[in-house]
Amino acid sequence: MKLQASSPQDNQPSNTTNNSTDSNHLSMDEHAMRSMDWDSIMKELEVDDDSAPYQLQPSSFNLPVFPDIDSSDVYPGPNQITGYGFNSLDSVDNGGFDYIEDLIRVVDCIESDELHLAHVVLSQLNQRLQTSAGRPLQRAAFYFKEALGSLLTGTNRNQLFSWSDIVQKIRAIKEFSGISPIPLFSHFTANQAILDSLSSQSSSPFVHVVDFEIGFGGQYASLMREIAEKSANGGFLRVTAVVAEDCAVETRLVKENLTQFAAEMKIRFQIEFVLMKTFEILSFKAIRFVDGERTVVLISPAIFRRVIGIAEFVNNLGRVSPNVVVFVDSEGCTETAGSGSFRREFVSAFEFYTMVLESLDAAAPPGDLVKKIVETFLLRPKISAAVETAANRRSAGQMTWREMLCAAGMRPVQLSQFADFQAECLLEKAQVRGFHVAKRQGELVLCWHGRALVATSAWRF
Amino acid sequence: MYSAIRSSLPLDGSMGEYSDGTNLPVDACLVLTTDPKPRLRWTSELHERFVDAVTQLGGPDKATPKTIMRTMGVKGLTLYHLKSHLQKFRQGRQLCKESTENSKDVSCAAESQDTGSSSTSSLRLAAQEQNEYVYVSSSYQVTEALRAQMEVQRRLHEQLEVQRRLQLRIEAQGKYLQSVLEKACKAIEDQAVAFAGLEAAREELSELAIKVSNGSQVPFHTTKMTVPSLSELAVAIEHKNNCSAESSLTSIPVSATLMKRHRGVFRNGESVVVGHETGWVMPSSSLG
Repeated sequence: MKLQASSPQDNQPSNTTNNSTDSNHLSMDEHAMRSMDWDSIMKELEVDDDSAPYQLQPSSFNLPVFPDIDSSDVYPGPNQITGYGFNSLDSVDNGGFDYIEDLIRVVDCIESDELHLAHVVLSQLNQRLQTSAGRPLQRAAFYFKEALGSLLTGTNRNQLFSWSDIVQKIRAIKEFSGISPIPLFSHFTANQAILDSLSSQSSSPFVHVVDFEIGFGGQYASLMREIAEKSANGGFLRVTAVVAEDCAVETRLVKENLTQFAAEMKIRFQIEFVLMKTFEILSFKAIRFVDGERTVVLISPAIFRRVIGIAEFVNNLGRVSPNVVVFVDSEGCTETAGSGSFRREFVSAFEFYTMVLESLDAAAPPGDLVKKIVETFLLRPKISAAVETAANRRSAGQMTWREMLCAAGMRPVQLSQFADFQAECLLEKAQVRGFHVAKRQGELVLCWHGRALVATSAWRF
Repeated sequence: MYSAIRSSLPLDGSMGEYSDGTNLPVDACLVLTTDPKPRLRWTSELHERFVDAVTQLGGPDKATPKTIMRTMGVKGLTLYHLKSHLQKFRQGRQLCKESTENSKDVSCAAESQDTGSSSTSSLRLAAQEQNEYVYVSSSYQVTEALRAQMEVQRRLHEQLEVQRRLQLRIEAQGKYLQSVLEKACKAIEDQAVAFAGLEAAREELSELAIKVSNGSQVPFHTTKMTVPSLSELAVAIEHKNNCSAESSLTSIPVSATLMKRHRGVFRNGESVVVGHETGWVMPSSSLG
């Protein structure tokens, strides 16, 4: 694809995009319209006021074209972005969000399989985004850039290589729980949903929780506490955790610590681990179920990444007849369905994590070391995972998870007033301005300035 | 929010305030107090008559003290009495309305009856410091007030319970994470100790080897395990990017970095450089 006319400002012809085979030019009106969308998006992302506002200069050059996009695409066309990117490429980084446009260009290049060009743009980005400092937007851009880099080079930096990394991660979780209500909201709301489902029937005291994202097991501490208090003659808790293959160390830690904690709480406790790979093959047959137990299944969007047939998964879930299925979405998946577009999911994830970083800024003073730890060891791996997911576009063309659950015959269970009160209480304790709790469609949602960060819901067949 | 109902409502319908003396019925209808400045006691009966009269006259906004006096036909009731009572009545209604609008918790039974009702409007005034009158017109309102108050108390109780439980849960989680952290740190130290021992042994060996050899440029030095594996390189780069986080964490023992560098040694015992590692495997780990 050739440029119709070269831009006078464009000193770097290597950056002209050649990756489209269509000669599809948008009219100027469409340009303007799409720039407005971009405007509002950027405003939402709260770009620094100091940044030089970019100008749409359609008259200076004709924009190159990208592959055609869905007309229903909310986001602006690539032409816009390339245009702005051209403008700012030669100039010194003025703190504007031109790097975001470049990020999206990399995404587009990857999507259209032009890896060489992607590398080029990325290397330039590496020049401009060298540190993970600055405003949330900039930090998010840095992490996403790193994630894209990993994607391109095929390295996986998320593994915990050493004990030092593991300690850092545990510390990050601990600190994060201390400054932001996000992790505690996820855990406690889920726990309350579990407890509510148990209290409704006074039948079996045996509880079996199937957890697909156990982490370091922090959620079970408070659950065990509650079980211990509620039952007269010592409670009983059994956990089956489905874990990834490279989690040997964490697994051992979890087992040791949970077992010890349960002993202190005087609860009879068992924990088993099942490899994710095994689960992918055998589904719920890989898990041991015992008659007479009440089964609770904890899921999150992560499961939909690993499992190939989601409908099948939900069906198998039904066969297990769980008491309750608790879905905790702390990745912002609630709104977007699998759109099948890397770019769309990338932008969506970018917005989401920018919000999370903003909320982190509100919770901790600037430059605080705690924030750095949380970002590096907690958020960054999540961002990498999100980018990888978006690139894989596994969920292409599928329904939202909510639709999938409903289609399989599940119905949402109303969360109790206790859960509501607890969430409000938590926010009061956290004392971070900007968070609030909302209910929507049977979910309890933790919002940051109106944007959902964590959504918890309970389901049953 | 709860101000309309907050203070204690007399449950038996009697007046909330008692003067020095007792109630002395002055005449058939009016009850006056016996303190130095005799004041009219608005008994429930009297109040009901008042309310009826007001209703007849089209509501508290339409009725005037004069017309009420005429309608009620109670001897000894002065305009002055009625003026103040009517004012309080109007205020009380306002209070009740406001409190119901603002609060979702408190159900003001009077409100539900007041809105557009013509039959039995009633008044409930909370006894504030300045306000000496508490009106409870009928037992129905008493029940309603009770129920509302119970509801309020129940919610307060539940919220307190939630707070208490939440505190326990937060503590449990914090305690758990702390112990996980400690165990992990301890594991580092244990390993570091093991490494240190191993490293010391290796150093001795290599020194010995140097002595044994003829002092030429024996490449034995290169066996000092300084060549990191690919994965360690990646880690090092990553840590370089995050060096500010790393360097300030003083609680991580220095031996941890020692361990990291010489991980290759630990894995293979003898050989120097290990191949690319795909994951962390503990020598004695076992799943489950």
